Amino acid sequence: MIRPWCRQILAVIRLEMRKTFFARRGWWVYLLAFAPVAIWAGHAIDVSRSRDPALASAKTVPSFALDSIETGMTPDEVIAKLGQPYSRRAFRTRRIDREVMSYTDGGNTYTFVFDHGELHGIRHAELCNLNQDSVIFAAVFQYFFLRLAIFFGCAGIFMNLFRGEMIDKSLHFYLLAPMRREVLLVGKYLAGLLATVVIFTGSAALQLLIFVAHFDSQVRAEYLNGPGWSQIAAYLGVTALACLGYGSVFLAAGLLFRNPIIPAAAVLLWENVNLFLPAALKKISVIFYLQSLCPVVAPPGRDMSPVLALLVSNAEPAPAALAVAGLIVVTLAVLAMAARKARRLEINYGTD
Amino acid sequence: MAVYKRTYKGYAGARTPEWSRFLIVTRYSYARLFQSKFLILFLTVCFFYPLGAALFIYAAHNLSFLRMFRIPAGDLFAIDPRFFYFYSNFQGAMAYLLTAFAGPSLISPDLTNNALPLYFSRPFTRAEYVAGKMSVLLILLSMITWVPGLILFGIQGDLAGWEWTKANLWLAGAIILGPLAWITVLSLIAMAMSAWVKWRVAAGALILGVFFAGAGFGRAINGVLRIQSGTLIDLTEVKSAIWGSMFRYDTGTGLDVSDAWIALGIASTLCLLLLVKKVRALEIVK
Amino acid sequence: MTPPPIEASLIRFDNVSRFYGEVLGVNRVTLSIPPGITSLVGPNGSGKTTLMNLMTGLVRPTRGAIRVLGIAPDDPENLFRLVGYATQFDSFPKGLTGFQFVYSFLRLFGKSHAECEALASQSIERVHMSEAADRKVAAYSKGMRQRIRLAQAMAHDPRVLVLDEPLNGLDPLVRAETIALFRELAAEGRHVIVSSHILHEVDMISDQVILLSNGYVVAEGQIHEVRSEIHEQPMQVMIRCNRPAALASKVFEQDHVVEARLDPDSGGLLIKTRDADRFYRMLNQIALDGIEIESVAPADDNVNSVYEYLIGGEGPAK
Repeated sequence: MIRPWCRQILAVIRLEMRKTFFARRGWWVYLLAFAPVAIWAGHAIDVSRSRDPALASAKTVPSFALDSIETGMTPDEVIAKLGQPYSRRAFRTRRIDREVMSYTDGGNTYTFVFDHGELHGIRHAELCNLNQDSVIFAAVFQYFFLRLAIFFGCAGIFMNLFRGEMIDKSLHFYLLAPMRREVLLVGKYLAGLLATVVIFTGSAALQLLIFVAHFDSQVRAEYLNGPGWSQIAAYLGVTALACLGYGSVFLAAGLLFRNPIIPAAAVLLWENVNLFLPAALKKISVIFYLQSLCPVVAPPGRDMSPVLALLVSNAEPAPAALAVAGLIVVTLAVLAMAARKARRLEINYGTD
Repeated sequence: MAVYKRTYKGYAGARTPEWSRFLIVTRYSYARLFQSKFLILFLTVCFFYPLGAALFIYAAHNLSFLRMFRIPAGDLFAIDPRFFYFYSNFQGAMAYLLTAFAGPSLISPDLTNNALPLYFSRPFTRAEYVAGKMSVLLILLSMITWVPGLILFGIQGDLAGWEWTKANLWLAGAIILGPLAWITVLSLIAMAMSAWVKWRVAAGALILGVFFAGAGFGRAINGVLRIQSGTLIDLTEVKSAIWGSMFRYDTGTGLDVSDAWIALGIASTLCLLLLVKKVRALEIVK
Repeated sequence: MTPPPIEASLIRFDNVSRFYGEVLGVNRVTLSIPPGITSLVGPNGSGKTTLMNLMTGLVRPTRGAIRVLGIAPDDPENLFRLVGYATQFDSFPKGLTGFQFVYSFLRLFGKSHAECEALASQSIERVHMSEAADRKVAAYSKGMRQRIRLAQAMAHDPRVLVLDEPLNGLDPLVRAETIALFRELAAEGRHVIVSSHILHEVDMISDQVILLSNGYVVAEGQIHEVRSEIHEQPMQVMIRCNRPAALASKVFEQDHVVEARLDPDSGGLLIKTRDADRFYRMLNQIALDGIEIESVAPADDNVNSVYEYLIGGEGPAK
């Protein structure tokens, strides 16, 4: 019995792959998934372009001295206050007379731009450091990638498996095959899971690769010899588990509700207010367990309004084993519910 | 040789004006929209704030009313540009929710049911079709945004006197143009999403998702690249920046107003391009 | 449990009703459909598609039981090895060619790649779609889509073929070929259940008909048996002879003859009689009286007439 079921499941996956992976109308899922890759790539390019070999041996200047420089000052006045810059470049043509001087306070670079001998522009950028970038990566991963990209991506892919087929009036071809409805459900779920895991873990892997690659070799070696590999594995694992959990929820929503957007919106709202819920209620959500498994804690945004910041409540993260087991149990329970509905599914191609 | 008796004659009666024919689409769309009790309820709720604001303005100018409730005259919020900014902001949020509900049913059902060839096989252009559908949202959203806002301005002007009105006439312009720009963008986004996906439900999700994803993506860009201009992808922040300059109120977005207008323009252009691509009489299958 | 032999050759509906909310789909339908070509005939909304969906499990009955060759429709694993259904829905999974469409859904049967390829090719060849098989289904004409649907329904060699308006959109030549195919399949002992509006074709191909109206089965069986049950309508017989007027005067002497009408070309007589057997006996005697009878044929022993008698007077379906 198992072998024919496996063959049937593979056949369903094969059929779905064409629709999920290679469909033109699914390009927005790729956009959502790979947007963070583009951002990190942009950051890596920015960092590598601004990386100056002279910076490594540059003398640091106190921040208060750097902050005291005002527009209108001449290069000599600036040098008198701060000393020699670690980098000094000049561009002279018939119309342009520009000089650029760079200083550092150890944590930031200050770039002073002089036009015709007068300071016109001050640029200030933080120096790239692993700890800070790790926190930023964690924040982007947890607040954008998990809650938005994977959430909406899974919604789009999994809800399409049944409800989308109903809309396209092509579901009956599956129901007219000599296949148990539960086997069909498993096949479609695995197809969706394969697609989302490949897309989103692929994106997570690329993000991590770029994240690690943009540091210099010493920092990179320190990171990889330290917590690096376990953090990478954790992020990839969380991504896959998010696809597992959200996938089952949206597959079930597509089966159980004629308009699955309402439960999806409810789940979105619940997951996003998770930050503000009391500790007991926090635990009734997929995102709580996913965040428990994330290796780096990402605090809420710095620009969050003080009122909202007051409402943020912290709860002890769940132990890793419990989080994984909990997610799997929830997934199986939701799929079992969906299977019951699939068994009694009828074809109703009324217009929406 | 067969001789055929010619009895057919073309219609020779009066015709409706060509310029207003696009409103036929609007009329029928409204007929379908207003079958929804939820929509009627939501529309009703959208008028609570303007009504409350009107009462507030009245109360602020009515000393006997204030004395009755023992409220010192200076203790109520001032009816100033900030008051109208908050009003527009709240109603703008309601407009967004109304768009997410009403927008998907504009073009998606026509695509699903292959109705576009029926429209375009008549003397009815794509531009008229889009204008007709867009009017559905523009009129509906205007009714809950700048129209009551202008009425509130009128009430305040009447109670405060001509001097106040003269000094704050620019505010009337902000009350009209700010929400008008916002509802135009909302309508274009709703139509574009509705044209892109045949499934009405998915279109609704996309309309919601565009704003959530934009906000999240913008913050991600700002965080990673240590810049502020990532916020240009967050249309609600862009709107705040534009309204901040119109209402002369600092909304704290940190965005340049001209950059914000450009962002809105790009978003609108992308939506229009999507509409041009999708609203066609036939679908070419490759 | 293996069904008894007679059960294994029938499609049975036992007091089956299906309601869509308050709207009636079918009501109190009891049928036994033997092998052969069975046509479901009825106006739009009479319940033909509902009946087909019920027997294939796409919808569930509100009441009653259905057995297809002894198998319940809620056992798809066994049912669809024996049943193939070509629905009326003119939609397909996106992005597939005709061959991929037939092949991919054959793989759902758990068959191997080679087997599925062979079966798909054979089935496509049978509906004369081999040349277009590598084109996307979305680019097919209506008739081509119809044929590829038929190919997909037949590909696994089912014992029961359920076809919802299979001749829709087909040109006359392809229609004739498809009808020949149905006859071939029925001759092999299969059930071929067809719904159609084209009554003369139903007449031509069907071994039995099921007439539906407003969700009720109005009549079932072979056409001439059904016709003979309709006592309210006198039988019409067309007689071609050399002296139709003389024949008319003779037949009017019979009390069971209610009408006699001369054929416009004056070569025949259309007679309506309440008792066909007595009429035919009487006709033998008349033939001996010097009237040369060239042909005698029932004029309303066809689906068209039966349809009109049983359904036509009820007006459009609600």
